[in-house]
Amino acid sequence: MYSVSAEHAIGLVGGLIALPLAIIGLRFHPRRRSAPGTVQAAAVLMVVTGAVHLALIPHHLATQPVTSALFLLNGVAFIVLAASFTWRWWRVASCGLLIATVLGYLFYVGVGLEGPDQVGIATKLVEVVALGLVLVPLRAERVAHPKWRHAAIGVATPLLIVMTGATVWIVDLARPDARHVHAGALLQATNTIPTPAQVDAANRLYAETKAAIAPYQDWHLAWAAGYRPGGSTSLPSTHWMNQGYVNAGYVMDPYRPQGLVYANTHHGPMLLGAMFQMKGLNRFGPDPGGPMTAWHQHENICFTPFGFEFSLMTPFATCPIGAIDISAPPMLHVWIVDNPHGGPFAVDIDSSVVAALDRT
Amino acid sequence: MRTTTADTSRPEIAYVLLLAQAIFWMVAGLSALPFVLGGEIHMLGLGLATLLLALVACLVSIGILWRRRWARCVAIWFEAACLVGSALQLLLPIGANHGPVGLLTNVALPAAAIWLLWGRRTRAVFG
Repeated sequence: MYSVSAEHAIGLVGGLIALPLAIIGLRFHPRRRSAPGTVQAAAVLMVVTGAVHLALIPHHLATQPVTSALFLLNGVAFIVLAASFTWRWWRVASCGLLIATVLGYLFYVGVGLEGPDQVGIATKLVEVVALGLVLVPLRAERVAHPKWRHAAIGVATPLLIVMTGATVWIVDLARPDARHVHAGALLQATNTIPTPAQVDAANRLYAETKAAIAPYQDWHLAWAAGYRPGGSTSLPSTHWMNQGYVNAGYVMDPYRPQGLVYANTHHGPMLLGAMFQMKGLNRFGPDPGGPMTAWHQHENICFTPFGFEFSLMTPFATCPIGAIDISAPPMLHVWIVDNPHGGPFAVDIDSSVVAALDRT
Repeated sequence: MRTTTADTSRPEIAYVLLLAQAIFWMVAGLSALPFVLGGEIHMLGLGLATLLLALVACLVSIGILWRRRWARCVAIWFEAACLVGSALQLLLPIGANHGPVGLLTNVALPAAAIWLLWGRRTRAVFG
């Protein structure tokens, strides 16, 4: 959802090329002066979205001929409509096409025929804005029912934006691609099945780390070593970070892990495991266990310094006010407690494990 | 559909853009609230503040549609602040998303709104 799919990148190029061409074409349109700016702007946006659809055809033609045919129809219809903005039924036809296109995309994404990506979402936003421009009545315009048009904007625009965001987000979280897990975290690329040597190496890393951090079961010793809670202790678990080790950039050193993870139980903090973290973004650490010890990088997190809390960036690239969009450098967890669903190097600890610790 | 040359539809275009922006913020505000259930209590304040901001953006967009002078001033400052914040996010090495959606919603949209509301001719239509 937050990246541009390789096969859709050409659509972005098509749209960007079409934008200046549409503006130039509009300048030379013989009836341009008879149309208000809203209509002209909508026509330009419709040419852009039409060009995006047309540019996507070559990549889809071999594998998805039906989709390619729909792209062709859609692209041509948008460009023809954009050029005929003086037509009496232009608004009705444009509204119908724009709404049908957005709903068609949501259907494709919803049933899994298409993966949500930046090009798709950006195109839908352009279409929803174009729809608003088609609907908005002008002050000087003599229309029979301006209130109906305002009501249509007030309903259609929010509804389509919210439907697009919800569909894309739900699909992205429910059906992440192979390299995205745990609310969009990017996994390190590895081989699929670990070799015997990788299994041995992973077991060694686990044993060494478990032994090295055993003293930190007493959280006072962790505090003395420089670890501090990196967020709210009212959550089920908290990462305690050692800023000195983060700054030093130790790479997967079992004796100096950058973070420790504690369960916040009613007995006090209980050690769940260690977390190794790389110093910079997009640089995954060594991967001795192959797929067993793949690192992950959290991307598009809305981070707020108020209480060191996080939420996820929306599909529209917005965060709550007071939070900023960041990515965290690659990390690898080593869970020293039994983690039945994900294993000792899983991206996350099973919440039932933390709950069980609190009950003991 | 016909308009006289003295009319401008810039406020109507700005209205649509601000309305869309208000909905993006509404979604951002709502998206923070589930994290409150997970114990992130500060997210409640941020979520509600964002929803309030979305409401203000919606009211400002209606003010622009009605050609209110205050709405134009508020919108220009509002969008300028958004642009500054977006520029910082894009320039600082914090791993912020630089995708086309972010560029559209956080850069192109505020820049377009400022461009539409800027200038003496546009200012003249606001009472």
